[in-house]
Amino acid sequence: MLVELYRRFAGDYPKFFKMDTLCRLGFIAAEILLKGQTSQCEKEQMSIILANRSASIKNDTDYLATISEGNYYPSPSLFVYTLPNIVTGEIAIRHHIQGETSFYILESPEQLEPIIKSYFSSPLKGGPRGALTGWCECSKPNDFYAKMQIIYGTTD
Amino acid sequence: MEQLIEQLKSQIIEALNFEDLTPADIETDAPLFGEGLGLDSIDALELIMLMDREYGIKLADPKQGKQIFRSVRTMAEYIQEHRTK
Repeated sequence: MLVELYRRFAGDYPKFFKMDTLCRLGFIAAEILLKGQTSQCEKEQMSIILANRSASIKNDTDYLATISEGNYYPSPSLFVYTLPNIVTGEIAIRHHIQGETSFYILESPEQLEPIIKSYFSSPLKGGPRGALTGWCECSKPNDFYAKMQIIYGTTD
Repeated sequence: MEQLIEQLKSQIIEALNFEDLTPADIETDAPLFGEGLGLDSIDALELIMLMDREYGIKLADPKQGKQIFRSVRTMAEYIQEHRTK
């Protein structure tokens, strides 16, 4: 399904195929949200604040299988995705986003709201800015969910 | 040798998740890094693991890699000469 969505909404980024499922999910969600609706200037100043409940457990499990007893061939390409915040980096690279990126492990999406409020009320300077925020969850191969939005605020 | 080259191309596609490529898309003598397939350092590590897993070849000297991984043909030639399985 994610590959079909990639071909429909992107199709010009071969690195997509090297990503783990969590990154593919975040990539597609960001692609749909950002494509054609946000100027490059806005994107460059944007921050990324994502969260989920299961961290990178799906990829961690896949990697674990490559270092099991009797079959010790640790996969470098799986290892690089054994952190959930990698998805924020993949999105930032794709869209040339240069703001802060962060990824939180939370029990529920509601817990992300105060974090976002805190971000916009921080003493950082820079005027109006946007943040790509949301929930990006993948705990099993074909069980994933993403909901993202762009929130605008002022950091003055 | 030709059979090994074709097999190697399929293994590279699988190991590096080139879901959009077929063995016919990979030129036997094209550079694997930089131009050609445009592989990166993580891909290089995957190729080293592939050589170990599939052919029992352990590369101890990183300097060898530049020559061995120049193209699919140079990889196949090295494998044919050094394979233990």
